[in-house]
Amino acid sequence: MTLQSTLHRKAGLILITPIMVYFLVFFAYPMYILFYDAFTRGGRFTTAEFSKMPQDPLLLHSLTNTLYYFVATVALEFLIGFGAALVLYWYMGRLKRVFQTFLILPLVISPVAISLMWVLLLSPTFGPVDYILGFFGLHSPNWLGSTSLAMPAIIFASSWEYSPFIFLVVYAALLSVPRQLYEAASIDGMGRWAAFRHITVPGIRAAAVVGFVLESVGVMKSFALIYVLTNGGPGNATYILGFYIYQVAFSFFETHYAAALSLLFLAIVTSFVAFVLKFTSVEKYLGLKGVAQG
Amino acid sequence: MKGTTLLLAALLAAMALFYAFPLYWTLVTSLKTNLDVFSYPPSFLPPHPTLSNFYSAEQSAQTVTQTAIGSLPWMLNSSLIALMSSLISTFAIGAPSAYALTRHIKRRIWPARMILFMTMLPEAAFVVPYYIITRNLLLLNNWFGLMLVYLSFTAPFATWLLMGFFNAIPMSIEEASQIDGLSPFETFYKISLKIVIPGVITVLILNFISCWNEFLYALTMTYTPFPSGAQTVQVFMAGFVVIEKGVAWGGLAAAGIFAMLPGILLAVLAQKYLTRGFTWGGTKGV
Repeated sequence: MTLQSTLHRKAGLILITPIMVYFLVFFAYPMYILFYDAFTRGGRFTTAEFSKMPQDPLLLHSLTNTLYYFVATVALEFLIGFGAALVLYWYMGRLKRVFQTFLILPLVISPVAISLMWVLLLSPTFGPVDYILGFFGLHSPNWLGSTSLAMPAIIFASSWEYSPFIFLVVYAALLSVPRQLYEAASIDGMGRWAAFRHITVPGIRAAAVVGFVLESVGVMKSFALIYVLTNGGPGNATYILGFYIYQVAFSFFETHYAAALSLLFLAIVTSFVAFVLKFTSVEKYLGLKGVAQG
Repeated sequence: MKGTTLLLAALLAAMALFYAFPLYWTLVTSLKTNLDVFSYPPSFLPPHPTLSNFYSAEQSAQTVTQTAIGSLPWMLNSSLIALMSSLISTFAIGAPSAYALTRHIKRRIWPARMILFMTMLPEAAFVVPYYIITRNLLLLNNWFGLMLVYLSFTAPFATWLLMGFFNAIPMSIEEASQIDGLSPFETFYKISLKIVIPGVITVLILNFISCWNEFLYALTMTYTPFPSGAQTVQVFMAGFVVIEKGVAWGGLAAAGIFAMLPGILLAVLAQKYLTRGFTWGGTKGV
């Protein structure tokens, strides 16, 4: 038996080697590069890259924009995704599958192609959005060319892109609530609204939170939409943090500052994820606790 | 009851329209002549349907590369990179590591958390170091280089998802195989890996799609003013949009249709696997 378990241990170590190597190459070493570049100039330690952050108006502007973009997109996509999931769940007709296919389409289309679509749709000269608004007596502005409207346009396109994910997570959770619970509730004389509040809501809460976390990180990462639709413009109206880092690194060629900004970005994302993991049951839902004890 | 079903169906149809219309509009634009694209009011069916945006170079302002067929070499790059990266991440990293973490390693909560964290890392924060490493290895604009960079997100995702699948296998099956004299390795690749084939397919499909769709790494590592080398179809298309905005809309839309095809095909043909993967293995039966 001793031989057996030694063999077991060895096998485990060999099997886990790839991810360890991966971790060193793709995480530890890049992190070292980031820290080194952010904290040195000409081989000497310095915190200059960080102390110039509060004086960088473009950074502050990007941060406020990121918050604006983030809050609006997540709110809008939750509204759409949640609504779609409930409606499809309640719908008992024969076209369930067909509708479901339509509702997840944006998930598989590349962000660049999605951006291209919205460029076509929002065109002020021949776009159908302008034309359709015309029926209501509205004249649509040059969405992407206006400093105040470019961001709302991007938020709308972004919600189109990301809401299907919320739909899918919530819909799956709705399906996982056992039907018998509703039957029992109706036998007990529980009304529809009460059943929704006391059975549906608790049944899908964990999934909704998971959707929220994964999706939030996804939204914070958006890049292609900004790059293709407005390239940060007009002026710098649609700069968000990820896009700004790209600009600093690959247009201004300030590698040291870009590294410092990357660390800032990582700190924001990490604290957000850690916060949510700490205060919700996400780990349990994702099977992490189960896996850990398994 | 009948009325409710109809009302819900109407709502769903409206939503389906909301998601389908942008796609439909791209398709219609790709079938229009350049003259029709610019006509106002816009027509919702192509007045003079043509496939020339897909293959010919007839239109005066366009060259061959600006029709959709010009995007084929870059689609080939994308496919190769996505295929290699998803295969390696699944079979060389994800499967063995996930198996070890669910079956051999006792203190696994922190490694598991780390892997979950790695799946969420923002590309923008790592693009600088990855660019430096790739440049120093002389792998810029090289499909091998981009394939490696893509492992940064395909590998943790594969590991994470497969952990869930391996965990669902009853221990008794593996114990039985050990009693039958199979080594731990044989148990892994002859028994357990075969049981999780649905999971493997899910991971391959999703990683393929995320590589195919990836933009930021591809842009920084394969962009050249004139497309060359390992440039992916996304970078090609984005460059096309930025340069040709307001010029070759038809060709652009056609290229967009080409670039969406793999994803849409998979959404229709492999929906079962997709939904399982998109909900992070946390669900069954959608």
